[in-house]
Amino acid sequence: MTNMMKKLSENIFDKLSMDFLRNQVLKNAYGNDDTVIAKLDPRILLVWYLFFGLVPWFSNNIIFLGGCFLLVAVTTILAKVAGLVLFLFLVGVFSQTGYLFLVSLFFGGNAETIIPLLVLTLKVATVSLASITVFSGLDPDRLSNGLMWFGCPERLSFSISYAYRILPMLMEEFQNVLLSYRLRGKAPESNGFIGKIKYLVYQIQVIIHSFYPLMLNTAKRSRTTVEALEMRGYRYAATNKEVKKMKLSALKITYDDLLFLAVSFLWMAIVAVVMSYM
Amino acid sequence: MNILEVKDVTFTYPGAGIPTLRHVELQIEKGDFIAIVGNNGCGKSTLCKVMNGLIPHFITGDFEGTVLADGIDTKTVEIGDLAKVVGYVYQDFENQIVRPTVLDDASYACMNYAMPDYLDRGRQALKDCGLEGRDDEYIWQLSGGQTHLLALAGAVSLEPEVLILDEPIAQLDPRHADLIYGILKDLNERLGKTIIVIEHHTEYIADYCKHVMLLKEGHVEWVLPTKEALDRVEDLQASNIFPPQVTLAAWRLQRQGRLPRERMLPSTISAGREAFRNLTFVKPETSENTQEKEPQDKAVSVSFQDVSVSYRSVKGEPKKIYQHLNLDLHKGEKIALIGSNGAGKSTMMKLMTGLIKPNEGRIFLKGAPVHETKPEQLSKYISLVYQNPEDMFIKDSIEADIAYAMQVREVEEWQEKTEALLERFRLTKLKDRDGRLLSGGQMRRASLAIGVALRPEILLLDEPTANLDIATRKEIMRTLKDMEDVTDTVMIATHDMQLVSEWAERIIVLYQGNVIADGSRNEIFGNKEVVEKVGIRPPEIFSMGKALHDDAFCYTVDEFLQCFV
Amino acid sequence: MKKEQATQSQKLMVFVLTMSLYGLATLFTELIPKFQIGLVEISVEYFLFIPLVLAMLFDPLSAALGAATGELVFSEIMLGQFGGLGEVEKFITVTIGVYIAGRLVRNPGNRKMVGIAAFTGTAAQLLMGTLVDILKVQFAVEDFEAVAGLPESVFATEGFAFLNDLLFSGFLFCLLPTLFLVPKLYGKIEPLLGMQPRTESTALPSIGGKMVIGCVIGFLCAVAAEFLAESGFELISWEAEWAESTGSIAVGMVAAAAIAVIVLVILKKKAGDTQVQV
Repeated sequence: MTNMMKKLSENIFDKLSMDFLRNQVLKNAYGNDDTVIAKLDPRILLVWYLFFGLVPWFSNNIIFLGGCFLLVAVTTILAKVAGLVLFLFLVGVFSQTGYLFLVSLFFGGNAETIIPLLVLTLKVATVSLASITVFSGLDPDRLSNGLMWFGCPERLSFSISYAYRILPMLMEEFQNVLLSYRLRGKAPESNGFIGKIKYLVYQIQVIIHSFYPLMLNTAKRSRTTVEALEMRGYRYAATNKEVKKMKLSALKITYDDLLFLAVSFLWMAIVAVVMSYM
Repeated sequence: MNILEVKDVTFTYPGAGIPTLRHVELQIEKGDFIAIVGNNGCGKSTLCKVMNGLIPHFITGDFEGTVLADGIDTKTVEIGDLAKVVGYVYQDFENQIVRPTVLDDASYACMNYAMPDYLDRGRQALKDCGLEGRDDEYIWQLSGGQTHLLALAGAVSLEPEVLILDEPIAQLDPRHADLIYGILKDLNERLGKTIIVIEHHTEYIADYCKHVMLLKEGHVEWVLPTKEALDRVEDLQASNIFPPQVTLAAWRLQRQGRLPRERMLPSTISAGREAFRNLTFVKPETSENTQEKEPQDKAVSVSFQDVSVSYRSVKGEPKKIYQHLNLDLHKGEKIALIGSNGAGKSTMMKLMTGLIKPNEGRIFLKGAPVHETKPEQLSKYISLVYQNPEDMFIKDSIEADIAYAMQVREVEEWQEKTEALLERFRLTKLKDRDGRLLSGGQMRRASLAIGVALRPEILLLDEPTANLDIATRKEIMRTLKDMEDVTDTVMIATHDMQLVSEWAERIIVLYQGNVIADGSRNEIFGNKEVVEKVGIRPPEIFSMGKALHDDAFCYTVDEFLQCFV
Repeated sequence: MKKEQATQSQKLMVFVLTMSLYGLATLFTELIPKFQIGLVEISVEYFLFIPLVLAMLFDPLSAALGAATGELVFSEIMLGQFGGLGEVEKFITVTIGVYIAGRLVRNPGNRKMVGIAAFTGTAAQLLMGTLVDILKVQFAVEDFEAVAGLPESVFATEGFAFLNDLLFSGFLFCLLPTLFLVPKLYGKIEPLLGMQPRTESTALPSIGGKMVIGCVIGFLCAVAAEFLAESGFELISWEAEWAESTGSIAVGMVAAAAIAVIVLVILKKKAGDTQVQV
């Protein structure tokens, strides 16, 4: 039994290793650029998201919410989102409404509380999945172009593309610094409850301390990056409408985009029919 | 016609007491291929930043004089407009790339300057830089050499007349280094670009550059055609520049009166063949070939048993690094691990330190399985010094960094031991400085001191001489030789064949996840098949010896002079 | 003119630096599961010390905006955890909190002031977050007051969370690391970005009425984002009613949508995957 526990915790530890996290994040960011969702026009997807990201908050009809939920669940599958993100989604939904449910029982609630909470859960789940579909499923560049088309500040769309560029480098650097601590440092024994707490405190300390070298290393990098940006006309482009137009002219709406909207609409219309006959 | 004219430029960084550049006068002709040499801190990078306008536009400081780039005074135009005349590739080029995918980055500048055909320009630049067909790849999928080429393509896309590259091949294996210079040559010859490189690999200068400029203490010492420049062995050595080994050998022969003085020194192997044709080969008496191979009864330190490793990949199947690897490392060996970028050198080191777990098989460290031992316990036996020394510095002074591992383990007399290490690595004066603010050589020394702090029996060094100029490389080699009494077994992963041939006793060659050769330097460098397959480039003097006589095995200039009389 | 340009790029450097580091940190907090002991949530949520430190050493506004953008881009958009309007609120509160802390410190060598600023900034951010959170649940659950035990539970959990966050995360993860890092980095990191360290004489003037007003307006915007959501409520429920009452029209919609889908499929087949000619 203890052996099994040990194996289990080892397994979980392995899963939570930096390497695994890094891989999952990269997979989510870059690994699904050939899906149906990734090929859609970002503007269409953003409009689509505007509906499924907002409307569920304002409806309390279980059928309607269930219909929305099913649709976004399908699109999430189509977007081939990384496993970890889905796991986070589940944890997130539970922690947002699950604990409310328990607490309201504690304060003298009853089974009737379940219905509003189910409604709340569906809302949260639908909105989260819609955002996972759009933001994880879309190519970073297409996403930032889409946002720019809707008038988001240029700085934001630059940040998105840059973040996708810099992420693997930052993670590797962070990983190396943490490894230095792991090899040269000495973690306390993690036996017993007190030991576990001590171990946790040590880990947190290490993470905080590792930001000292990270800040300095990243500062060095940032300088080169910004100098290069100056030379490559970043600021020139930020104030030039012509450039924006050029960038956005790459966006094209295809039949696939319209089809995607039409199918979504068809599904919601069917839901409306069901609603009216129930 | 002069494409670049620097007129009486003096520049002082803010807060610095003395000027970095002093009355620099320089004219560079259109279509030149010029190398800037000089010792560390002589102002090479600063001069380049003056030429592309980063100084005074971006880096403030005390600037006097005029710089004309294609006839335009750099002070009068925006830095962006200058980028269309002068392209610049940084030494830390990966920070220059700001977009996630290849074509996107190559065309980024053109798009920013509102050129309607920006994608075509980007594609053309990629084609010119040998990255055709990689348009949609992500940056992190590229190798180090390809990333450098992309940084170059980003600059080329604006079609500047001048391209400046700061140490373009510092981190590359020879095959990639040849590739980069091949492309620079093509840009120079076919498209007529003026190329300026900061370079201390004089063999590459000899092969590719038309002119050499020596910068000394912030002013231009001379600008000469390459052949004449490399002939000035004394000048170069005074600035810590090491001429090609062939040149050096000929120079010493001249001084010994064994070669006529009036002749120009050879700088390439083909020129050497001509210059040295009158020398005769004498087989040295204590050749390694005649030595009996030592029986391998030494204790096994590390043992890889049937190890397979693969990385999780972002898309598709996991990438296999090793399949059924079997290898024993013995106590007291000095091992060099060589192979091209991505052959699995770093992975092997990480396996030994338990940072990566094998998917199959086991690794034993002094008989105990590695992955059942905690990393912090392993560190008593084995220590790894990273390729990037900056990642070794986790404290705010190198003294604290060296002391850290001993301090937390409550090693007796850790203060005294730290002091002794500082002394040994000549760091006592720098002990309160932050590691990452030191110069390249000091940084390496500090990282070595950190690596040996716990007196590990096995020391692993990942590329200890990358990014260093030759003088500093020699210094690190000396340090390595000094350290012999501290550690039993040392393994170095490297592309630096001079280091390999002068230091290593055993060489392990990795190729696509397999050990394809394992032996002494004569066995490895003498094996044509392996050298070809892996792209090993032996020290130039070795190839020179081989070109003169098939049985010659000389790895240093000294040995060469003994073998050929 | 030239001087201003230089500071523009320096601001960009600070922005890029803060965005990368805080973005990376929030990415990990999003990935690492939270520990919950009863009601006490122990999370390594608070990497806020990163932008706090940088805001005290460099231009506060760039650091504040960089931090907020970093969190938005790395942990929300990249992982697809984008929560719609809620993010607007987070963006604004983080910006205000970090900005206040950065402005309060005129001399980073003064440890007492650094401590007070770190604590004030964190408290401001948390308090604003809590207020908005309470309002959010109120909007999301219909008949908020009617559900037995819900209002009490929300006030109790949110109030408790605030105190817990402030005392636990605020103290351990913001105050202590900031006090640890600011003196270590002061004078060392600035030259890497080519800047002069901040001193009493080069610091921005102390907080004036304008800034307070600015922060209040910012916070009102955050609240307004939530209220905007509430006002849209009527519209959608009207729509839902309409759908329920006129089932036949809903059927008509289904038919129309179905026809649209079929037509689009045929058109796509005919034209291949090309742009729609309008």
